[in-house]
Amino acid sequence: MGIRIEDLTVTFKNKVAAIDHADLEIPKGIFGLLGENGAGKTTLMRVLTTVLSPTGGTVTLDGIPYREGNYDKIRRKIGYLPQEIDLYPGLSVQECLEYMGNLSGLSKQTARERIDYYLEKTSLSAHRRKKMRQLSGGMKRRVGLVQALLNEPEFLIVDEPTTGLDPEERIRIRNLLVDFSEGRTVLFSTHVVEDLAATCNQLAVMKKGKFLYAGSMRELLEQAEGHIWTCKAKDETTARELERKYHVSSKQYRGSELQIRLISELHPEIVCSPCEATLEDAYIYIANKK
Amino acid sequence: MIREMKISLPVQKLAYAIFFVVILSLVRGVTYSVEIGIALEAPMAILALTFCADTYTQEIVSRRSEVQRLYPMKKRVRAVYRRILVQELFLLALAIGGYGLFFLFQNPGTAGMGQDGLDSEMCRFLIYVAAIAVTLLFWGILSTLLACLFRNMWIGIGGCLLLWVLTNSSMGDRYLGRWNLFSYTYRSLENSGDPGWICGKIVCICIAVTAAAVLPEIIEKRG
Repeated sequence: MGIRIEDLTVTFKNKVAAIDHADLEIPKGIFGLLGENGAGKTTLMRVLTTVLSPTGGTVTLDGIPYREGNYDKIRRKIGYLPQEIDLYPGLSVQECLEYMGNLSGLSKQTARERIDYYLEKTSLSAHRRKKMRQLSGGMKRRVGLVQALLNEPEFLIVDEPTTGLDPEERIRIRNLLVDFSEGRTVLFSTHVVEDLAATCNQLAVMKKGKFLYAGSMRELLEQAEGHIWTCKAKDETTARELERKYHVSSKQYRGSELQIRLISELHPEIVCSPCEATLEDAYIYIANKK
Repeated sequence: MIREMKISLPVQKLAYAIFFVVILSLVRGVTYSVEIGIALEAPMAILALTFCADTYTQEIVSRRSEVQRLYPMKKRVRAVYRRILVQELFLLALAIGGYGLFFLFQNPGTAGMGQDGLDSEMCRFLIYVAAIAVTLLFWGILSTLLACLFRNMWIGIGGCLLLWVLTNSSMGDRYLGRWNLFSYTYRSLENSGDPGWICGKIVCICIAVTAAAVLPEIIEKRG
């Protein structure tokens, strides 16, 4: 069933529309949410976790409409890792997770078993006695993810779970999310394109409160196909000239020359050749398409 | 309960509370032991209202409340009540300790006291414990409630301080009399047998019980 969003609008008191008449369907599996900072991703997640009430439109989760009377039912199905969360600094990792597990309604025995399992999965077992305040940013993020998984929710909503993690940790967390998504829905919000490329088949791109794209990764890449170009610039001045005219997705020194990837609807007015689109190229293409 | 203690009684809070009482017992002069309760009640009320203001707002500031919204309300509320209880018990122990510190540092006189009945030292101490327990409960719960209502610890503290200033004054005494929240402080020392000041404490209990009953609703609505 998944999550269905129809004509969703969230307008703040200052009249800023964080989400503007958005429609989206999030099926089972891992679903990516991509967008620049301030695109409305976090607002959307806050609506889905019932932290924020929408100004307009409808949202349903497994067919259950979001309204006051259904919130308890909905909340039981969700696990959430907010973008910023500061877990109890005076408690150890084990104590913190046991406390949150207990608050969420898990029995002590079940909570302990799941804590053991997920600490192992996130390579935190050796740190379980450490106080939360002694952990690095990446470790705290992983503990935050464990607390979201403890209830084994049907819908897991994670807001930038890989922020502050080193490459190995990121891979571990991504794999954990993929494993967890079997038979469940995982909404994975990030602005790190490669995290989505490595985990999701389905994704949505957000900009200024609207969905610019929602669908499969393959279709997104297909849309960008034929609009990505590679060219060489002799010096930095030429490169800057190109940056002014086109969206440049990468710039790399190859010997004395600069190799540049451009995104352009039409063939650029320089010597260049078309190349295969990456997800990053496709995202920039979609985000800046007129 | 141990986790609630670790969460709501971090070292810095314990330190400033103990420091506050020690300094108070050193600088606030008393001549007779009967004045100790008066010296302690109003300052302990300030300590309680600042101490308890972050009982729940720490969840809001740290964004843990966003996750906790997904948890059963009953469990959340029970956790908040447990935290209030832990803090109130600590403050009560501190208030009792503070009473002892006044004796230790200032050696106040006990002149004019009987050896038994309402005039005995022990009886005065027990009355003080009962009165201060109600005072701590009232100010602690009220500041928690206001802080939750406005989702801001400082509004909880500020709102309570305003009420503190209004009631802990000669104006409060004049207009509210025996129904004043600080009726114990403003009671007549000459007529120690008059239990009229209990009315003020009954008002405190009624408001505190109402606040405690409303608190879950506010936490649910304001998150």
